[in-house]
Amino acid sequence: MRLDRREFLRGAAGAGCAVAFGLKFFHFSDDPIAYAAEVDQLVRSTCSPNCTGACGFKARVTGGRISTLIQAADYPEESYNPRGCLRGLSMMDLIYGKDRLKYPLIRTGPRGSGKFRRASWEEALDYTAGKLKEITDKYGPEAIASTIQVPGTGYVQKGALVALTGLAGWTMHHGYDQNGDLPMFWPMTFGVQSEELESLEWINARTTLIFGSNVIQTRLPDAHHLMEAKRRGRVVVIDPDFCSTAAKADEWLSIKADTDAALGLGMAKVIIDRGLYDAAFLQDFSDFPILVRQDTGKRLLAGEVATLASEAKDRDIPEYRRLFVVRCGEDFRILDPEKLDPTHAELEGEYEVTLADGNTIQVETVFTALRKNLAPYTLDQVAAITGLDPVQIERVAVDAAKNGPIHVIYGASNYQWYNGDLKGRALSLLPVLTGSIGKSGAGISTYAGQYRIRFNVKSWWFPEGSKINWVAYLHFLQGKGPNYPKNGIKAMVGGWGNPFDQHNMSNRLKERATSGELEFILTTDFQMSTSCMWSDVVLPAPSWYEKYDLTATILHPYLQLQQPAINPLFESKSELWIFRELAKRLNPAFEQHFFPQLDEKQAALKVVELLLATGGAETAGITLEMLKKGPVRLHSPAPGDRQVPFYEQVQHRVPFPPPSYPAPIKATAQFLRSGRIEFYKDEDLFLKEGEQLPVHKETYAETEYKVNPAAREKYQLRYVTKNSLYRVHSTHSNNTILLELQDNKAKVFLNPQDATSRGINNGELVQIYNDRGKTRAYAVLDPGCSAGTAIFEEGWWARYLGEESYNSLTYPWIKPLHEIYFVPGIWSPTTVWNECLVDVRRMSA
Amino acid sequence: MSVTMKRTLWISSAIFLIALCFWFYQLWQGLILTHMVNSYSWGLYISGLAFFVGNAAGGLVLTSSIYLFGVKKLKPLAKLGALTAFANVTAAMLIVLPDIGKPLRLVYLALHPNFMSPLVWDVIVLNLYALASAIYLYILLLPELTGKLSWLAIKVNNPHDFSERWAKRIAPVALLFAIGIHVVTAWIFSTQGARDWWHSPAMAPDFVSVAIAVGTTVVLLAGALAYGTGRQYEEAYRTLGLIIFMATCIHLFLMMNDLVIHAWYGNAETHRIMEIAWGDFAWAHIFEVAAPFIGAGLLMLPAVRRSLPLLALSSGMLIAGVFVHRFLIMPAAYNNIPMTLTPLGLPNTHWSLPIASGRFLPGMSTFLDQYSYTPSLVEGMILLGILAYAVFLVVLAISKLPILVKENA
Amino acid sequence: MKMGMVIDLEKCIGCRSCMVACKQHNAQPPETWWNRVFTPGSHRHLTPPAKGVEYFLPVHCQHCENAPCEKVCPVGATFHAKDGAVLIDFDRCIGCRYCMSACPYGVRQFNWEEPAKAHNRSAYQEKYHYGYPEEHRHDGRLVYMPLRPKGIVEKCTFCAQYRDKGELPACVRGCPGKARFVGDLDDPNSDVSKMIKARDAFTLLPEKGTKPTVFYLPPKPKEV
Repeated sequence: MRLDRREFLRGAAGAGCAVAFGLKFFHFSDDPIAYAAEVDQLVRSTCSPNCTGACGFKARVTGGRISTLIQAADYPEESYNPRGCLRGLSMMDLIYGKDRLKYPLIRTGPRGSGKFRRASWEEALDYTAGKLKEITDKYGPEAIASTIQVPGTGYVQKGALVALTGLAGWTMHHGYDQNGDLPMFWPMTFGVQSEELESLEWINARTTLIFGSNVIQTRLPDAHHLMEAKRRGRVVVIDPDFCSTAAKADEWLSIKADTDAALGLGMAKVIIDRGLYDAAFLQDFSDFPILVRQDTGKRLLAGEVATLASEAKDRDIPEYRRLFVVRCGEDFRILDPEKLDPTHAELEGEYEVTLADGNTIQVETVFTALRKNLAPYTLDQVAAITGLDPVQIERVAVDAAKNGPIHVIYGASNYQWYNGDLKGRALSLLPVLTGSIGKSGAGISTYAGQYRIRFNVKSWWFPEGSKINWVAYLHFLQGKGPNYPKNGIKAMVGGWGNPFDQHNMSNRLKERATSGELEFILTTDFQMSTSCMWSDVVLPAPSWYEKYDLTATILHPYLQLQQPAINPLFESKSELWIFRELAKRLNPAFEQHFFPQLDEKQAALKVVELLLATGGAETAGITLEMLKKGPVRLHSPAPGDRQVPFYEQVQHRVPFPPPSYPAPIKATAQFLRSGRIEFYKDEDLFLKEGEQLPVHKETYAETEYKVNPAAREKYQLRYVTKNSLYRVHSTHSNNTILLELQDNKAKVFLNPQDATSRGINNGELVQIYNDRGKTRAYAVLDPGCSAGTAIFEEGWWARYLGEESYNSLTYPWIKPLHEIYFVPGIWSPTTVWNECLVDVRRMSA
Repeated sequence: MSVTMKRTLWISSAIFLIALCFWFYQLWQGLILTHMVNSYSWGLYISGLAFFVGNAAGGLVLTSSIYLFGVKKLKPLAKLGALTAFANVTAAMLIVLPDIGKPLRLVYLALHPNFMSPLVWDVIVLNLYALASAIYLYILLLPELTGKLSWLAIKVNNPHDFSERWAKRIAPVALLFAIGIHVVTAWIFSTQGARDWWHSPAMAPDFVSVAIAVGTTVVLLAGALAYGTGRQYEEAYRTLGLIIFMATCIHLFLMMNDLVIHAWYGNAETHRIMEIAWGDFAWAHIFEVAAPFIGAGLLMLPAVRRSLPLLALSSGMLIAGVFVHRFLIMPAAYNNIPMTLTPLGLPNTHWSLPIASGRFLPGMSTFLDQYSYTPSLVEGMILLGILAYAVFLVVLAISKLPILVKENA
Repeated sequence: MKMGMVIDLEKCIGCRSCMVACKQHNAQPPETWWNRVFTPGSHRHLTPPAKGVEYFLPVHCQHCENAPCEKVCPVGATFHAKDGAVLIDFDRCIGCRYCMSACPYGVRQFNWEEPAKAHNRSAYQEKYHYGYPEEHRHDGRLVYMPLRPKGIVEKCTFCAQYRDKGELPACVRGCPGKARFVGDLDDPNSDVSKMIKARDAFTLLPEKGTKPTVFYLPPKPKEV
């Protein structure tokens, strides 16, 4: 066979062309919905699950779908840009994920089985309304309890449920104390819900003391401000475990868990003994000059003092104030609670007072009482309690005092203990003693949750005739408490939350759902979470790229819009629409409040305008048009509208406390009857418990050890359910992109010695258990973990834990001091997650 | 054609066709059907490349030694050598095909070759070797292309002289290529500074010595199977056995040399390599040293060489040992993750950055710094198919062409 | 103009946002990650290897000036862009994976199966895919496509589809720690050039001679 050269070349060329042609124009594709490369728009919304980030994101919309997400990075201060994080960047995994709720569902199988049937909106809403009316008729409206989790993430949509709750007279739980995020030292010491510096102010602190907060991971979009604070000053981290923030800090103090009160008091003692405190500040802004009766422990009232009684009678003060007494030179004077003028009062001293009834008693100033209180907290004693080096403690205290302003960041996992309030009060001494309050870069901050209502929301949240029966969530779990509905709570109406994973303490929620004690459960969500699985009716809501809303956070004071980049997927409807429809069915009169003549998008925008117009000083001059262009800074008394707590109080001498929306001032000011920062608390129970001034108390003494003394030996690991990088609580638990980064496995972090002594190797599946419940996770031997530790990253949906809720181990402890007042979300029993002892064992034989 | 040969042809073509089906399946589904992952990105196929190249090199080494060094008693094996060379080098090129993600684009090798790439050199050199062995075979066959086969013969005056003359002329070129294909194939690996297991100047000479050992063994085995172990081939087989044994010793020496140097100096990469090599693969390494050595040693014994089963067994041991040697090119290269560093604050420790696997591995992390590679069924079948192809080609050629020298010359 | 990247390990908080930004914008299917962030020395990211030691290291294509991957590619599919980035021509790559053996940083990822099939494992609604939705050509060569075919290699391109339009790569825009910088290494006054000199920048595996254009600034040591 002969092949001509020419023939060969021709053939080769032909074959080559065919191949080349095929290569260029033939793309195998299995995707029938071709990627439409028509542009497409960029829509800016705000990513805002309850992480406190509230970060602007730009969604690229291609062919009606979100193709990419990237940070908007449009904050006016360049320092704030870009914000955002891995969860916001993978949000589409949830929006288009397989757990996306598509249409209303009505339960057909047993609760928690996941057996539902599809229903039309008409049917689902009619059914729901019918059930709610039935329960109202049988047990009264307070038998229905609603929750919106924390207010700040959605003023418009969440406000709809709050409004309905009030109109219908239902019960409501407050997310802040439900989450244990309410640090009770705040109302006790400062008379407020909570306060914090905006993160841009962190860089103005010279010394940043972080007590048990993993800022680098949990305040992710703001972490760079902490790094800048480190560059300009000093960052010290106090934490039992070597977390990422401890790794980034200039210094790490490896404190024994839950002994921060002792450390704070020890440092305070050093500051006081060395005279490093700001006497002028303390005289005018704190209760240190106030005189305390040594016989009763109560603060001396002007009306009791012989020389002051008549003057006191003539003084006209609000009923939430009291007239206390201070010593100026040789005289006793009335301390005006409504004015913070310089008092020149004695900070220290013990005096004899003649009472109006003729008796004489001994009194001392609060500061003198404090000195006495601090006497046992010597450096050696504190070192013994905390496990730290006394020289180091002293150095840190002196350095901080001499290098102000001091900023203390007090972490949620640190105050979520039974005596978290005592710790907070002790730590507050550090900024207060040194006058680091009410100025740039100064103060004490807590950053858990977007709880804060930043302006007046009454016009939308609390319509005329609104009457909400607030009940602390812990009381619900315990089944009793003050203003607990007399027939109990029979129905749950909730959205934006996942209590069947996150608040199922001691498995009580699931038990009540299984037993039928809860007669009706309604949940709105955009994904089939565990709580949806346990509900009777599930209503599909949109994600924050599919609706309008207004969000705010505490890490920065920007007000931001959420805007729809795409239409609500499948049959989902905004919560405003849902609760408007429900309102209409419960009572036609209710509907009026919800702009019934407008569609859900227009109604939401109207609500935004309403809120801006009636929000008060904070929203003055802010318009919807401005928000459509980007984030707008809310107003505040500080220069540049900076978020600096107590600026007005310290710089303009306005009495404490500033108001905490939405509570009326009389509700919170009663906590600071002197109009000043108060360390001395003389309510009866404080005195009885010996907590009139902050002290250190032994961990678990009032909780685990009290209820079961055997726990000391049996359960030696403290169960800490910390935040995970890969979730915002339980949001993103099912995010397939982020699950891959975690090897699709829940983890429990153990000190290597604790693990090996139990025969547990790295990566093995272990059971975490105590007398109340159990769960499972894969062991990580962590050299950073202190001994006696079992850290579990909270937020895993039960289906990733073999259906064993990780909260079955926790218990709804209530500290009685948190019940002497009740202002929802402000003075309330607050969940103390960490009061939990467990042990671990390998699961395989 | 003998019954054995017929059966061999039927079985090998059946295996080849089955392998072809597996390849089509792989073309359809993608290389996900192999067990390779991103951190372990070459496996059985490329091991097969090295294996077949090694087998091929031997053929022309042997054949050119006859004409270059005048070792006349090996003459009956000359054409067989050229044939096995051709079969193995084409098998080498074929086994690479299933390893290519987009085989239709191989035309770009011709249109846009990157001459810096050792793969391009290898493609060139393997093709040239295939051409050279084909031409060489043809030249050696020329005098016997008579009768029914005369249509294949080119018209020359004195075919026998022509054949002798050109065989002598091409011999040095052939020898060069025979050594060259293995040097270049070794260079594919040993130029890569990223893989310490490969990056050794000893690799090329080592590959050459292995090639000489195993290639010659292939010819010896083929010859023994074709001609038997009769007295007239004793000298030839003895010479081959000597070549094989010496080449094996040189190979083992080069390996030990590398080992001694690295073990003595003991730096981090070496320790890791040793851990990997002597950890999971301890038995394999023992086998790859012992099998060829024992096989080659046995082949030095006249008794072994006179017995076809024993000869076949010893040859088989050596070939198997070399195959394992080829397989072991990969584990220590890929499981010694190249991005390894000493973390700040932890001097004297070494840490490897895991690599995303690129495929779903149930129960395992996506990020791997260790991967236990075993070939999948598809990979194994395809390799077997290519082996079947080489066997088929050799047996078919023997049956149709005057490869073998008749008893009575 | 020689483009380079600086990553400040003092500012890197190990949050892996850059991993996710890269994956999302470049439509990488499950199990494919061009960018990796880990904790050097540790068996698990964010677990310290020893008490008192922890920092984070992001690694992706180093866009080496002396790139071994470019040298070994038999068909010239891997090439240097005009500004110095190392790119892969998706029309040219034959999937031989030599470059994957050649890369000392292990940054290259292969499409072992049809990415659409891999994406299916995420079980998104109605075959949804994330990622920059258009093809992109640099100098006529196809360097990005929303769904690659099976059988070719891919890796970080410094987001060619964005840079060619004057935008920063997704990892830079997505980094909340503000730890990433892109600039002109040829300009001694650019931010990156100044940072490299002033902060004792280092490269990874310098002994391999690859001359990466990604530079790392070491974390600040603590006082003792």
